[in-house]
Amino acid sequence: MEFDEMKKIWDAQNSQPFYEIDEKALRNIQLKMNTVLRATSVSEWLLILINLGAGIILLGLHPFKSGANIFLYLEAAWMFGIVVYLLVCRDRRIKASRRFDRSIHGDLDHWISLAGYQMRISQIVRWNFLPLGAIMILSGWEAGKLARVGIVILVSFSVAFYVTSKGYQVNKRRKRKLQVLKEKLDTGI
Amino acid sequence: MTEKEQLDILEGWLKLHKGLIFKVVRAYTVTDHDDLFQEIIIQVWHSIPAFRREASVTTWLYRIALNTAIKWTKKEKKYSGAETLDNVQHLLQENRAQTDERLSWLYGEIYKLDEIERSVTLLLLEGFSYKDMSAILGISESNVGVRINRIKKQLIAKSKNYDSHGI
Repeated sequence: MEFDEMKKIWDAQNSQPFYEIDEKALRNIQLKMNTVLRATSVSEWLLILINLGAGIILLGLHPFKSGANIFLYLEAAWMFGIVVYLLVCRDRRIKASRRFDRSIHGDLDHWISLAGYQMRISQIVRWNFLPLGAIMILSGWEAGKLARVGIVILVSFSVAFYVTSKGYQVNKRRKRKLQVLKEKLDTGI
Repeated sequence: MTEKEQLDILEGWLKLHKGLIFKVVRAYTVTDHDDLFQEIIIQVWHSIPAFRREASVTTWLYRIALNTAIKWTKKEKKYSGAETLDNVQHLLQENRAQTDERLSWLYGEIYKLDEIERSVTLLLLEGFSYKDMSAILGISESNVGVRINRIKKQLIAKSKNYDSHGI
């Protein structure tokens, strides 16, 4: 069979599509379209809100007064700092996403960059626990509750480490697959 | 652009160009037609505000559909539990009247190619120029040309087996 003949076979399907759309099922999808949120955006906002909420609660529970535990204020300041940092990262990510063109190559670049960004966020969440934990231990030590605070930190750090490791590994694999795909596109092999 | 306008544009595009999306779906999956079709129309819907009429609607839709299909095949896990609920009600029904075995063979051969080559083959069969294909794929025209020569040779060679042995 010559290629022209294949083209004719291909074109013949235009008059008789292979599928029919179930209009009712289509309408169900249309209804939920606006609620589809990107995972990146959700995880960003979740982190921002958690840090902001925790910072506000710390300040709310311990209003400024003489003799108050200074380390609690440090914790709150650290969390607000993380919020600002995440907002800056988000703003940079959105601005950077406009750089990519709409070709398949440009789209792959965009998704590789996004996977890298999600990996960085996972790392930030994981290692953020070290300075935060140190401040909390100092705070617990000053308040005479070192053992209790130590257990809380250990459990929290273990959970955060496990969750972020999973997220990090998923994005790492995804990024690698996309890079392989981009290499194929570039080299033609 | 309001949500209503966006939805109207999507419906208009689907009415005129759904065949194009069907071709991408059929070329990129054997079993998960509904999933991929749903993903493509959601991405098309998201892309509508960015459409500037610099390209034709067909070119735009091919870009979005192929981008989505390529990424879709690379996902770790295609859908979460909540999303699969939509699949209970089948979105696409196969049209049994279409029984050209040669076309099924052609789709089968396209499916055997890797994700990138599949895109090139679809664009080639749709009659896009090298220039358009280069813009859609984001690679040089010479790179497109090399791939096309290789794909054509491969398909013609395989079609000889099909013609003589029906395989």
